[in-house]
Amino acid sequence: MKARDAAFSIGPAKFRNPVFLASGPAGYGTEYEELIDLRRIGAVVTKTVTFRPRAGNPGRRLWETSAGLLNSIGLENVGAERFFAEKLPRLVEAGARAVVSLGAEGWDEYRPLLDAAAAAHIVDAVELNLSCPNVDCGGMSIGGDPALVERYVRAAREALPEAAIVAKLTPNTADITILARAAAEGGAHAVTAINTVLGMDLRGPGLEPVFRRERAGLSGPAIFPVALDAVWRIARAVDIPVVASGGISSVEDAEKFFAAGAAAVEVGTAIFYDPGLPERIVDALEARGAAGPPGAKPRKRRKR
Amino acid sequence: MSAVRKGPWNAVLRRTTRLSPSCSLLVFERPEGFPGAAPGHFVSIRVSDSTTPLLRRPYSIMDLTGSSLSLLVKAVGRGSAALRAARAGDRFDMIGPLGGVPFPAPAGPEAVLVAGGTGLAPLLFAARSWRRARLAVRTTLIYGAATGNELLRDLVKAAFGTYRFATIDGGAGFHGDVVALCRDLVSRGRMPAGTLYSCGPRGMVRALDEAAGSHFSAHYTSLEEIMACGVGACRGCTVPVRSGGERVLKAICSDGTVFSAGDILWEEWEE
Ligand SMILES: Cc1cc2nc3c(=O)[nH]c(=O)nc-3n(C[C@H](O)[C@H](O)[C@H](O)COP(=O)(O)OP(=O)(O)OC[C@H]3O[C@@H](n4cnc5c(N)ncnc54)[C@H](O)[C@@H]3O)c2cc1C
Ligand SMILES: Cc1cc2nc3c(=O)[nH]c(=O)nc-3n(C[C@H](O)[C@H](O)[C@H](O)COP(=O)(O)O)c2cc1C
Ligand code: FES
Repeated sequence: MKARDAAFSIGPAKFRNPVFLASGPAGYGTEYEELIDLRRIGAVVTKTVTFRPRAGNPGRRLWETSAGLLNSIGLENVGAERFFAEKLPRLVEAGARAVVSLGAEGWDEYRPLLDAAAAAHIVDAVELNLSCPNVDCGGMSIGGDPALVERYVRAAREALPEAAIVAKLTPNTADITILARAAAEGGAHAVTAINTVLGMDLRGPGLEPVFRRERAGLSGPAIFPVALDAVWRIARAVDIPVVASGGISSVEDAEKFFAAGAAAVEVGTAIFYDPGLPERIVDALEARGAAGPPGAKPRKRRKR
Repeated sequence: MSAVRKGPWNAVLRRTTRLSPSCSLLVFERPEGFPGAAPGHFVSIRVSDSTTPLLRRPYSIMDLTGSSLSLLVKAVGRGSAALRAARAGDRFDMIGPLGGVPFPAPAGPEAVLVAGGTGLAPLLFAARSWRRARLAVRTTLIYGAATGNELLRDLVKAAFGTYRFATIDGGAGFHGDVVALCRDLVSRGRMPAGTLYSCGPRGMVRALDEAAGSHFSAHYTSLEEIMACGVGACRGCTVPVRSGGERVLKAICSDGTVFSAGDILWEEWEE
């Protein structure tokens, strides 16, 4: 029995519930049609798309760590043209709600990407990936600079005036709340925290770096406390909603994120080993009723 | 939701048998609703209720009948140890069947299947499937292991028309690896022509293709790589291949696991 309507909104965009699949692990969404009921999920945040297709990084791309996963995918994606013509329509046809993740590369790639998103007409919510650690230009060098975060967010608001703009932040910085404030200043409707944490591993008898790029992005349960800390502090530093991402592996983790002040949660790495988790979180939210999760503090929220 | 479901299944282990010092046969009850599968398809199993190890472990389907699902599990690390320690009645969270392109059926009357170690699993499924479909095809298995007691002889005898063994230590069959055995058979005119199927370590498949690929009308191989999603979403399991004159990265889990060996850009594909 559905005790409550878990619907909520970010800026102008409405969602049936606050449980999302995270960009990257979720792919283009439809890969999971036979494992996850996509129509029950709040939104699929699609794999970060860049203006041009990207082949991604050569060499090994995945490595398991203690309760974590290192990845060096390098933003492999089909590029804006195929994404908006094929991948996004397929996902919408499957009955899913999409949040489109746009890659913030250099300005010359970013502007035409925003134009392509605007031209697609079906985009009403985007997450700006200001924080991928696995590519050279753009990505994190942009995401670590508050002035650039503000500028990239503002450009997205201008190019997509009807859409919800969510800025995804990197934890690989001294104080993530500074980045969150910059995103809010640029007009973001929400921020997502966090992307992967930089890390590395060595292997073989010679203890050589696992990845060609040496550093990679750590995800999974190992980073949950880092993400919880970021969400807690950002929720107290800005008055736009926070979307929590990082290490969620149980319904209890989701409850902790909500209690820390998150408005929504994203399930990433856990999809790989527990594809039923997103639906179980939705079940728990619906069963809990209008009271919301225990410990959740009502937060003041400025309407934008 | 799609009409077909690929899990997660709660698969019950029916029996487990140590076939050799390092290999176990695990026979699961086929979960209700588990779709049909083709040789080269696989399942991915959560080996622990905790988050260590974190990822599922992929295993080729060695056989699928109306009531059972068989896997061959070699001792490697923590995940395979947990599977090998399991007992009849234990349940595992499993997804599958996964995989895009399976082994195609042979175009002609001869098929040669070359297996290294547990690479035997999908080839055994292939031979059994063709037999069940009453394909008029003669199968020759060329199968290698490190030592004689690692050869799973009983499994292969019933499934293949002809079989030849190779062991590194010379304990049984040909003294050397399967590639040397294949080279030897080709040079002595004892190797049937037709379609070649292989599965085994990367180095083996690459050397096999270089040594004997041109003897066959086609060489199909099932590849392995560390996997996270198993469904083509995460792009973690890519292999560089030549496709239509271009270099492209394919996901082994969803674009394979079977590829034409001649298309693989081995130099670029790291171990
Ligand atoms: C499509 C596919 C089919 C397979 N079929 C079989 C089979 O039929 N029988 C069999 O014994 N093994 C098979 N393997 C290999 C098997 O998945 C690995 O041996 C197993 O994952 C090792 O896990 P572990 O925890 O015991 O070892 P660990 O050393 O602890 O594993 C460490 C990490 O490496 C990964 N890993 C290690 N070796 C491999 C490998 N060769 N391929 C993929 N991932 C690996 C693990 O998933 C894990 O992420 C298959 C692999 C793939 C991709
Ligand atoms: C294989 C993989 C690929 C990822 N790709 C992207 C990406 O393209 N864009 C992005 O914003 N985040 C990407 N991420 C980060 C996730 O969206 C998520 O923020 C991060 O993994 C932390 O959450 P988790 O621990 O739940 O996975 C990726 C993560 C993984 C594991
Ligand atoms: S394992 Fe994710 S794409 Fe193959």
